[in-house]
Amino acid sequence: MLDPTSVQRHDGSTYQRPSIQGSMSVQPQDNAQWEQALTFIAVDRDKQAYSQLFSYFAPRLKAFGLKMFGNEQQAMEMVQDTMLNVWQKARLFDASRGCASTWIFTIARNVRFDMLRKKQSRKDELSADDLFFDGDYPEQEGTDSNEWDLWLLAEKVAPHFAKLPPAQRDVMEKVYLEEKSHQEVSEELAIPLGTVKSRIRLALDRLREAIDDPRS
Amino acid sequence: MIHAVKHHPALELLEQYIEASLAPELSLAIAAHLDLCPHCQRIKMDLEAEAGTALASLPEEQAAETEWQQMLDFITAQPEVVAQMQQRQPFALQIQNSEILVPASLKPLLHNKLKWLNLGGISTAKLAGEDQHNVSLLYIRKDSEVPQHTHLGLEITLVLKGKIYDESGCYGEGDLLINTPDHTHTPRTMSEDCLCLSVLTAPLKFKKGLTRLLNPLQHLFY
Repeated sequence: MLDPTSVQRHDGSTYQRPSIQGSMSVQPQDNAQWEQALTFIAVDRDKQAYSQLFSYFAPRLKAFGLKMFGNEQQAMEMVQDTMLNVWQKARLFDASRGCASTWIFTIARNVRFDMLRKKQSRKDELSADDLFFDGDYPEQEGTDSNEWDLWLLAEKVAPHFAKLPPAQRDVMEKVYLEEKSHQEVSEELAIPLGTVKSRIRLALDRLREAIDDPRS
Repeated sequence: MIHAVKHHPALELLEQYIEASLAPELSLAIAAHLDLCPHCQRIKMDLEAEAGTALASLPEEQAAETEWQQMLDFITAQPEVVAQMQQRQPFALQIQNSEILVPASLKPLLHNKLKWLNLGGISTAKLAGEDQHNVSLLYIRKDSEVPQHTHLGLEITLVLKGKIYDESGCYGEGDLLINTPDHTHTPRTMSEDCLCLSVLTAPLKFKKGLTRLLNPLQHLFY
């Protein structure tokens, strides 16, 4: 088992991801609105749409930057670089690949990585764009399997089920115990279909880890 | 690359990867695994979506209104950048007289000619590494054994071609072996040659008899 303490965080950050289980302040319609803003920016260089996106995300990116860097100056540098990328590369945003907030997170993450790299004046070739690839991977033979459906019937899963994060457990219960379709769960919980699928995958992965040899 | 990958990074490691909290060399091993593993590609996107929602749910951290306005004015005065969505294709590498497809993630580290060091059935070529972390390719000829060793730090091995066996099982293309200081293992090949990516966060320490003499030579493996 990989002991998390054995993995050094090279940035010394103490960032803990805020829990998104309890207070779900982001609604699906927010993301739809941001997606629309990004489209306006991409197509029309729409400054008003950008300004709205900016006033929502810049202060939150600053909060994120403060947690990551622990200082105001670098946090603001990260905000500016991230929001500049949003303005300049809005055409790269592809709603079919993920939400607007996901895209902005990946930009901020990459900006932060490259800032740390620059600070350490590392000249090697490890850049964020290569390490955190954001395009389409080439198609591979499908390895999606339903073997997990069988596993879930097994009693050994039950004790681990209770330990899933609540948001994932809710979805799993509806799908596997109440036998609802992903679409039904999406409507019932008012969350996007992609989120239902993503929570199921994450939950399955957590269960797999809990049951398996932790290394495999 | 049709082999179904069986050994994946722990979720915790993937979480640290997508936050860029891992050492870059470890991230490289994860990125190369992702190139080979559609399952983890999806998990990566899921985790990034979670992190995006978390970001959008953070409480605001305000700055002076003029500061925001200046930033906004500066940004919107900048021209659009014509950027292309990247393509990700494996590429062919000449190794030991054969051509092997390696993951696209490794490409930035492979433009120099590789310098191989040979020891018995094992060859290594260093790709990158400063101070703590070391990235190398490890080519193990068939029917060879890497002497039993423990790890002073973390060792991540990604199988790129062929198969490798150790006390815990068999690892094929795309499989990731993660060893921490409490693991001792003796990896070996059987009927085929094997190419691996190896990332070490500290030198290996060899355990047994004569192979302990290798310890002064461990730079071969590091």
